[in-house]
Amino acid sequence: MLSLLQVLSSGIAIGCVYGLVALSFVLIYKATATVSFMQGDLLMVGGFAGLALHLAAGWPLAFAVLGAVLAVALLGAGLERVVLRRALGQPHLVAVLLTFGLGMMLRGGVASVPAAAQDMYRLPFATDTVALGALVVAASHLWVVCATVVLMLLLAAFFHFSRAGLALRACAEDARMAALMGVPVARMHTLAWALGAGLAAVAGLLLAPITFVHLNMGFIALKAFPAAVLGGLSSLPGALAGGIFIGVVEAMAGLLLPEGAKDVVPYVLLMAALLLFPQGLGGGRLGGGGR
Amino acid sequence: MKTISLLALALCASVASHALHAADVAGVSASEIVVGHISDLSGPIAMLGIPVRDGMLMRFDEANAAGGVHGRQLRLVVEDAAYDPKRGVLAARKLVQRDQAFAFIATMGTPVVMATMPVVLDAGRLHLFPFSPHEATYAPLHPLKFQNFAPYQDYMEAATRHMVERGNYQRTCLLYQDDDYGLEVMKGVEAGLGKLERKLVERTGYKRGATDLSSQVARLRAAECDLVVLATVVRETVAAMTEARRIGWKVDMLVTASGYSAQTHELGGEAVEGLYGVSVLPHPYAAGANAQLGAWIERYRARFGAEPNVWSVMGYTLADMFVRTADASGRELTPTVFARTLENLEFSRDYFGSPAYRFSAEDHLGNRHGRLAQIRDGRWELITDYLR
Amino acid sequence: MTDPGRVSSRTESTRVPVARAGNAGHWRRHGRALATWGVLLMAALAWLGAEFALGQATLVATYTIAGLGVIIIVGQAGQIVLGQGAFVALGAYAQALLVHAGVPALAALPLAAAVGALGGALASLPAGRLGGLYFGMSTLAFALIVEEGLVRWESLTQGAAGMLVPAFALGGWRADTPLAQAGVSLAAVLVAFGLCARLLRSRIGRAWQAVREDEAAAAACGIAPAAAKLRAFVVGGSLSGLAGGLYAHWIGFISPEQFGLVFSFELLMLAFIGGARQLAGAAWGALVVVAMPQAIAVLRDTLPGDWARAAGLELVLFGAVIVAVILLRPQGLARAP
Repeated sequence: MLSLLQVLSSGIAIGCVYGLVALSFVLIYKATATVSFMQGDLLMVGGFAGLALHLAAGWPLAFAVLGAVLAVALLGAGLERVVLRRALGQPHLVAVLLTFGLGMMLRGGVASVPAAAQDMYRLPFATDTVALGALVVAASHLWVVCATVVLMLLLAAFFHFSRAGLALRACAEDARMAALMGVPVARMHTLAWALGAGLAAVAGLLLAPITFVHLNMGFIALKAFPAAVLGGLSSLPGALAGGIFIGVVEAMAGLLLPEGAKDVVPYVLLMAALLLFPQGLGGGRLGGGGR
Repeated sequence: MKTISLLALALCASVASHALHAADVAGVSASEIVVGHISDLSGPIAMLGIPVRDGMLMRFDEANAAGGVHGRQLRLVVEDAAYDPKRGVLAARKLVQRDQAFAFIATMGTPVVMATMPVVLDAGRLHLFPFSPHEATYAPLHPLKFQNFAPYQDYMEAATRHMVERGNYQRTCLLYQDDDYGLEVMKGVEAGLGKLERKLVERTGYKRGATDLSSQVARLRAAECDLVVLATVVRETVAAMTEARRIGWKVDMLVTASGYSAQTHELGGEAVEGLYGVSVLPHPYAAGANAQLGAWIERYRARFGAEPNVWSVMGYTLADMFVRTADASGRELTPTVFARTLENLEFSRDYFGSPAYRFSAEDHLGNRHGRLAQIRDGRWELITDYLR
Repeated sequence: MTDPGRVSSRTESTRVPVARAGNAGHWRRHGRALATWGVLLMAALAWLGAEFALGQATLVATYTIAGLGVIIIVGQAGQIVLGQGAFVALGAYAQALLVHAGVPALAALPLAAAVGALGGALASLPAGRLGGLYFGMSTLAFALIVEEGLVRWESLTQGAAGMLVPAFALGGWRADTPLAQAGVSLAAVLVAFGLCARLLRSRIGRAWQAVREDEAAAAACGIAPAAAKLRAFVVGGSLSGLAGGLYAHWIGFISPEQFGLVFSFELLMLAFIGGARQLAGAAWGALVVVAMPQAIAVLRDTLPGDWARAAGLELVLFGAVIVAVILLRPQGLARAP
């Protein structure tokens, strides 16, 4: 029973990371109708940015983390302004390939730094464990869960109470109507990309004590797709819930099901969800426009 | 249409002329020896690929600065296949056809090796020391195929046997990466246990790039293992040890040479203290290095701006073996002469502390042995000699 | 959320040249295309050396066939596929297993294509009603499941250790030289092109184009969109399966990770770079996708200084080319003038 709880706690923590990445993906998708395949690369860049600011530039850790998130958010906004804007209104595949290409460039850019390509690093926080009764939880896992809760609250407040947040939501619901109501749609797109990129960077920094910072850490973003689909592809809380669900199911499958099941469970769930709940678990359905 | 056919005619003529000139020995001219290297500089094992390449470049540069081999400069042509056999095959053809490489050295990654080796051998070029645990790299015997990496299977068998006998472990388990590497290790561990008339109690795998090993470790704990063999690379080694310590499980673990890296204790810290590992070549620690090794580490740092690791030493050693064999082969260098020379040379232990490499006409595998090490006070300490 | 303006944003460029051209005209066009490719091949032979160029031609041809599968699904039927590599993998493994079981290579190829077709059907099934991006998601998931399945089904596939595949043999003749391999794959390309062109002119092909342009209108004309999409995935899967069968022989060693996500995206890029609306786009795209990493490597060799050896440079350049092609020529290289 205890081992079940131990595994469950890791599953929830990893699930939060999946959820955050899925959240960033859905946020961008909802607001700009752009399918981003570079969230994993943004996550990796976030990890390395934090590392560079802390270890190479010598900033205190808290500032380095904040700086890294801001830097990646700016990167996202910049890419939207310069490149991704051109994919608006084009078939989905244009955005898929465009973001894939940009992701390659980001990965190549980081790999060009010899120290980044050859080594793995750890950010010096959350290295110990916390005992909750008989249950021992890694501090890094607690960090992930706490940070996710805080972020969710912040995001909810932003979307419900701030002007920009309301405008962004209007834009996501119906861009044409929002434009008629005077919402600066183009600026909202930039904002959505900044938020999406920043969220991915947060996920990368939270992952840093668990998997370390290295070039291939972005592969985790693949799990964000099942999470997003389970959440119905259009709901932010749904994406997060989907991520946590995937994390938990995966951990349980690793413990209880035969070898190898753990790695396919998220994708089997994705296909099953499409087959059984074509309306999406979160209710919203996005058909059409699929070219 | 007319211009097209004229152009075609001209091209035909030039194709025909192309076939006429061919060198006597591919890749060997009066002033140069061309060596091909198909690496992984941007794929999943780039962390090995880059230091191996740098180690080889360093040794070739040194040989060239000393006047080359019998007056010929060595030129290493590096192609990046990124662990992808398609790119590997194209790279191999390019190196065979366009660069006329005399030999292929240290091809990276089993899929690339398996796909490129036929291309190389069919062209009559040497296939030296590929980075692959696959048996096909040295067996069946082929006049141009040489391997000097102890295959995982052989040394893990010896290491498992030694550990189990020494520590009197009753329940040995395995955590493995589910690819060719993990499978080779599994065979070795099973063979080692088999000789002691025991069996693996539990085995559990993970996918390359896995994030979380908590369910795997929980499985192993539920099986009450007292020795866990890790067929992992650096990150998963640290993750497995950390996870075991987190849940308060004080089990002994033994990692293969892929986890024997300074990064393991740099990243793992306290949690990996006491981890056993197999070493096929000692890590080049600057602290406590002998004079020659210290000077080598300085040169490497100055040249590449990075700390050398086991893989840099490996690359350097391979290039060194090439240089020494080419030198001993004399001025008339052909693949056959090179191969015969290599079969008769002995490479004794050097200042890196590497094993003695030895080939013969019947055996093209240079070394089968590894030694045990343990992380003590934040660095690997060798605790046995090469296990026979 | 859905933007009705977007659905028909590309209608002006949708004429189907093959169908419009008269019979004589279309033979002239074919002759022209073949002549252009012939000259390209000769140029490559002269410049790169015969064996190297033939090796390249073999790969370009194999990629072309796999890419035709993408072009059918993406360019003709207007759907999304993100796991095309899995169909190639299924074809490659089917071919390898059949040949090992003693089936002649030529007879195994149609079966490899059939396995690919089955893969296409299975991958698209869950998203059948939803379409669009959901096809992308379900094919992506399918590809990842297939990869894991190939790793785990060790008794059949030898798992992650990979399988050796013998040379392509026909009776007593073995295609083990670059010339023979190029010959076989060029023949296969011509067959594939012929079949695809016929298919596009048939009712099935016209149904795809109708679904691509406007699903509701197509349905109103008595076309069943779901069935048309399923057919596109079946045909696309079978083409890629066929390519996989050939690929297994040319590379001689197959292992599950070769056909991963990167390969799927390579095929997608191939279709995009070449131009997904036309079959010829597959050939142009294949040429670029196969040649580009090598062109980049040659470029890198000519650059001075240590920074040119930086590990990520090729990745950056490759990414930049994709971005540039998509921004500058969204219709691909083979766009009809």
